[in-house]
Amino acid sequence: MKALHIGLSGINAIDNPGPGIAVARSLKEDRELGARIFGLAYDALEPGIYMDWIVDRAFIMPYPSGDGAAYLERLGYLQREHGLDFLIPNFDAELPFYVKHAEGLAGRGIRTFLPTMEQYRLRGKDRLDEVAERMGIKLPRTRVVNSLEQFYEAIKELGLPVMVKGAFYKAYRAHTTAEATHHFHDLVAEWGYPVIVQQVVSGEEFNVIGLGDGEGGSLGLVGIKKISVTALGKIWTGVTIKHQAMLEAAERFIREYRWRGPFELECMARNGDIFLIEVNPRFPAWAYFATGVGVNLPARMVRRALGHDVPPAPDYAAGKLFVRYTYELVTDMDKFQKAITRGEIP
Amino acid sequence: MSDQLSRLALSDEGFVFNPQTGDSFQVSETGIVVIRLLKEGRSDEEIAARLTDLYEVSLEEAQHDCADFRARLKQFELA
Repeated sequence: MKALHIGLSGINAIDNPGPGIAVARSLKEDRELGARIFGLAYDALEPGIYMDWIVDRAFIMPYPSGDGAAYLERLGYLQREHGLDFLIPNFDAELPFYVKHAEGLAGRGIRTFLPTMEQYRLRGKDRLDEVAERMGIKLPRTRVVNSLEQFYEAIKELGLPVMVKGAFYKAYRAHTTAEATHHFHDLVAEWGYPVIVQQVVSGEEFNVIGLGDGEGGSLGLVGIKKISVTALGKIWTGVTIKHQAMLEAAERFIREYRWRGPFELECMARNGDIFLIEVNPRFPAWAYFATGVGVNLPARMVRRALGHDVPPAPDYAAGKLFVRYTYELVTDMDKFQKAITRGEIP
Repeated sequence: MSDQLSRLALSDEGFVFNPQTGDSFQVSETGIVVIRLLKEGRSDEEIAARLTDLYEVSLEEAQHDCADFRARLKQFELA
């Protein structure tokens, strides 16, 4: 069988890991797919570059900023020199670029399976009230503010502590008005308006990983509970769960929005209520958890996108444990040197 | 019997796992007996009577323990 060359980003398997290694590992486990993985890195020290049992070739990429010409040129090089059949962007910030260029890439024989731009915009925290309503779950009381005056009014209305969030990135918990104001200014300086002020919901953190087929159907869902997280809030241990209300809400999300591609829903559960915290329009870094319980979403996505046979979404067992661990590899300095000088390994 | 209770996974060692919420906890040997009987849909009276068969305990004390246990289950939103 001809190898399928798949380029993917997010191979920064660090303490705040990108999803790339989990996605690559899942693809490798579907042996019939014959995936050959091209890791797309932004830094020569991204660990995935050196994990040659998962990443077959690695390339240093320019950022897809501005008109993205340099990035497209680099992809063109990959395709000319090595062949490139499929691309999986694993960072939120890459998605607008990829969504915009998906058609052009397809015209060059490089496939993707992504949400539309309208679907992508739903992840904006200023749209979550609408999303939560259509999913039939709750949203913590939220105010979208565009000035410092509105910000103070929102804090007064919601009471402390509050979450102070950028429209797309970063979220801080603040216990005092001074602390909240500090975060507000940081967010405005970095991301601009609007800023989202949200009630703090205490409870248990439940997450769902899913894959929509773009026609309202689900290609697979797995629900988990985070048992322990790192100082950065990243999952370290978790367990699969079957929280019916949450899984049904995820199915409604796919159906209502005809979602295409992978996604992660972050929710809080309290006294039987489910609160929507965030929608991520990509695979989460813990995507291999689903693969480990028999729901290989990256492989199912590629199969679906390429028109291959995709069996019905498999079920999974509740009570499967996810344990992340640390590991080290020792290799030659030569690889680092090649990443720096040639931007390509091996 | 609540849906949550019927779905609980219970091991022979008394490890209880709630597949809906991911919560887990440990119960004593007596707790294993009580949860198994609750999952079978037995009433508190039936469970108390069964406990008097298995252990040297009065019916009144067994009923009291059953009520306590049920209160704990309610605390965990299981009953």
